[in-house]
Amino acid sequence: MSEKNKKWFSLNLNNNSNKTSTSCGCGKTSGGCKTHNQEEIDENVFFNDAVDASVGEQRPKDGIDQVFDVKMDRRTAFKKLTASLLIGAGAVSTSCSTLASDESKEKAQIDWEEQFKGNYKLMSNEEKEATVTRLVRSYQLRTGKTLNMSSVDAQKDVLYGYAFNISKCQGYMDCVNACVEENNQDRNSQMQYIRIHEMKDGKGFNFNESDDNYYHEVPAEGHFYMGTQCFHCDNPPCVEVCPVQATWREDDGLVVVDYDWCVGCRYCMAACPYDGRRFNWSKPEVPEEQINKNQHYLGNRMRKKGVMEKCTFCVQRSRAGKNPACVEACPTGARIFGNLLDPNSTIRWVLENKKVFRLKEDLGTEPKFWYFMD
Amino acid sequence: MRRLKVFVSLIKDSLDVITRGSKKYHLWMGFLTLFMLIGMYCYSFQLDEGLSVTGMTDRVSWGLYISNFTFLVGVAAAAVMLVMPTYVLKDIDFKQAVLIGEGLAVAALIMCLAFVVADMGGPSVLWHMIPGIGVFNFPNSMLTWDVIVLNGYLFLNISIPFYILFRHYQGKKSKTSVYVPGALLSVFWAVAIHLVTAFLYQGLQARPFWNNALLGPRFLASAFAAGPALIIIILAIIRTNTAFKIDDKTIKKLALVVTVAAQINLIMLISELFKEFYAPTHHSESAYYLFFGLNGKTALLPWIWTSITLNVTATIILTFHKLRNNFKFLFFACFILFVAIWIEKGFGLIVPGFIPGPYGKIAEYTPTIIEIGVTLGIWSLGAFIFTMLAKTAIEIETGKLRYKK
Amino acid sequence: MNNKNQGYIFFSFFLILVVAQTSCKHEEGEYHSIIDKIKNKSKNYHGVTLSSESYLGDDKMIKITEDGHTFLIPERKGKLKSFKCSECHSKPLSQINDEDLKKAHWDIKIVHANEKTMNCLTCHNSNNMDELKSITGKSIDFNRSYNLCNQCHTKQFDDWKGGAHGKRIGGWAPPRASLSCVNCHNPHNPSFEKKWPERYNSQKTKERK
Repeated sequence: MSEKNKKWFSLNLNNNSNKTSTSCGCGKTSGGCKTHNQEEIDENVFFNDAVDASVGEQRPKDGIDQVFDVKMDRRTAFKKLTASLLIGAGAVSTSCSTLASDESKEKAQIDWEEQFKGNYKLMSNEEKEATVTRLVRSYQLRTGKTLNMSSVDAQKDVLYGYAFNISKCQGYMDCVNACVEENNQDRNSQMQYIRIHEMKDGKGFNFNESDDNYYHEVPAEGHFYMGTQCFHCDNPPCVEVCPVQATWREDDGLVVVDYDWCVGCRYCMAACPYDGRRFNWSKPEVPEEQINKNQHYLGNRMRKKGVMEKCTFCVQRSRAGKNPACVEACPTGARIFGNLLDPNSTIRWVLENKKVFRLKEDLGTEPKFWYFMD
Repeated sequence: MRRLKVFVSLIKDSLDVITRGSKKYHLWMGFLTLFMLIGMYCYSFQLDEGLSVTGMTDRVSWGLYISNFTFLVGVAAAAVMLVMPTYVLKDIDFKQAVLIGEGLAVAALIMCLAFVVADMGGPSVLWHMIPGIGVFNFPNSMLTWDVIVLNGYLFLNISIPFYILFRHYQGKKSKTSVYVPGALLSVFWAVAIHLVTAFLYQGLQARPFWNNALLGPRFLASAFAAGPALIIIILAIIRTNTAFKIDDKTIKKLALVVTVAAQINLIMLISELFKEFYAPTHHSESAYYLFFGLNGKTALLPWIWTSITLNVTATIILTFHKLRNNFKFLFFACFILFVAIWIEKGFGLIVPGFIPGPYGKIAEYTPTIIEIGVTLGIWSLGAFIFTMLAKTAIEIETGKLRYKK
Repeated sequence: MNNKNQGYIFFSFFLILVVAQTSCKHEEGEYHSIIDKIKNKSKNYHGVTLSSESYLGDDKMIKITEDGHTFLIPERKGKLKSFKCSECHSKPLSQINDEDLKKAHWDIKIVHANEKTMNCLTCHNSNNMDELKSITGKSIDFNRSYNLCNQCHTKQFDDWKGGAHGKRIGGWAPPRASLSCVNCHNPHNPSFEKKWPERYNSQKTKERK
């Protein structure tokens, strides 16, 4: 019987990766000097760990892992099973190493801290500033250039609102351009927060038959144009469904995402009735010279793959008193933005004097984006 | 201390049991391992490049993975169809199959968890969901409810059979006062897991295809049809290949459960079809796309019509006593019913919920090779785990595996 | 047996209570709708500390007040290339009407309403080239040229005063600065040409095949 067992011992069916040798002085077999390759393997290990973790300690240990990879199972079964921990272990072991340079040590330190920080919503002001400093420094270490990232909170007595004049929009798509330039979206997948729908006169607001990817002279005869984007609802269904509260409505009404907290389950995208959210299916890439360096933590800073993003009413601009890029860029003045709580604002005047409506009112989401006509 | 010794010995003995077997057994496990490796290889692409290697896009953001997840939660819930008659109705005929059913539940749940992790954009930051060190958005997010009920059910389905097997391994009888309350709880819990999973979709006012009152009950009906159908097929395989005795009566009674559930499922389907097509509204667009195609987009038509044909055929076969009691027909009907419900809950529910999009635009979804690879890998993982659990349980239950002091 | 049953009943009752308490959705539902929220929250509006003044750049602005709306518009006279027409043209129009010379501003074609409604003298004052005049002959300063437009385009003027027509510059924070009519519309040819959209999304086309 034992011979038969021995026969199976030699087939390392489950874990192929963990026995990488390291030149590091720390002696960890599950870490190693931080390289891109290492990251992949660790995540593979993580998949197994995750499966194990969900079953692990409770299941009678009759799995093949127990036999073939006792070291890993014992060690990792009792630690917090996260791949980040393994990556972080790599970071730590790099820091321990006498061979790695100061810069890569600092980078490893920053990455380690960034992995384990909490939800931005729950951070104190010092923690927010600390994370911004880390991100800016990390960018500096990577590219040698510097950024201007802010973490300014919502102002008091401010509630942002937006109005869109359907009669004025001519379908130029200047807004789409400006938004993409302002917010550092992935160029490969041509991610755009704004959609402009070209609709035929006389058919009502028939989105089914509208065209949102036209390319001909505008304004086309017999058509009108409507733009949609995230409407920053006051009762946002996306906020309700996020399992980790990575998206929330700020006090000034903006619905924002903490990109580092998002786990990428895409439940919010299923819940949004207005196609407001975008997902980074791959690593977002922006050519270096096109990166907008004036950033906000919740706004247009560079995202990573596997996280959700959306229009933020250009939080980096609006919290400084500027108009969002789309409002600024529209040559016809079809877009109106302002503070709903200020009784003298233009947005209030529009709501009180023009015949405004919102999309899908019956869903109870209370969007803060109104449409009107001249 | 003594218990620990017994436990360690149980593990050692189980390993013996698992690594020994007939040629067919080894071939089966080897085949599964091959597919698991293929799945891991495909998943490594996904980890490297992100979810862009799948066919999912911003328009259809949940695809093959979540379809399988939804279906398998139902299969896991169906184990209760064996537990309930045994412990609540005290119907002795079901008793033998209970442990197999619960083993299936464990395997199905592990598959569910694997599919969810495979679908995540950031699996390395899933610790963000752990209450205490992360943020757990309970009770607002239905996903958190799902995490709780699924893990709780997994715990129940591991601990109760483990207790029973542990006792039997030592040659002792298992105490009813310990496992019956747990078994009763798991009956309610099983209904809860599938209802909560249904609520995940039912609660989204943005998706009118899902946002109806019948989704939860429909999930339960199709789960109680597909799960026991699979159990019947598995029991048949176990009967022929091991010394584990399963009465014809057990299988026949299970078949009755499948029949009633399949009939209820059909009635619910008819109700949904009526609602969508009698007075179609803008909200019926998804149903039109699914059953008849929209604007020339007909990718799902072959799937749904195959599913409906198989579903109706299987239900008709099962309805006739003569055919249902003829095991050849029964196994065939169970198999096609299982496939039909897999299609119906997967491509027939998840994908059409997203099409057309919020502004009426249609972008179809086709899974890529990598997605299919990972899916096959995870199904193989489930089958692998189930085989291991079943083999150990059978050896203990047939008295072959006992604790030797 | 009785005790056991009682135990089960108590336990399930307790469980239901716990579930009921925890499942109530966390709702900030003090406000039924956004309009209620706006009404309530603006009661104590104290103003914001942000200002859009820094974003106005170097453009000279003038403050106007029309019908209770006070806002800034760009100053115009400094932008007109050869303003103070009278610096060159010393004689009134009636006297420089010479058959041999080219007609003044010969390249300006009026594409605004029709010949019965508009000609040069509808807006321009032939006796004082430095000012415009209303339909009834009252003078209108070039910096307040919107007063000409609002004689016919009253609806657009109302919208413009409120902020629904025209382009706001600077930022959303007070003080409000808007462009005036002539900053977008050429008064001699106020309509806009068609043009092509700024971009096209090829990825969307791919997805929808």
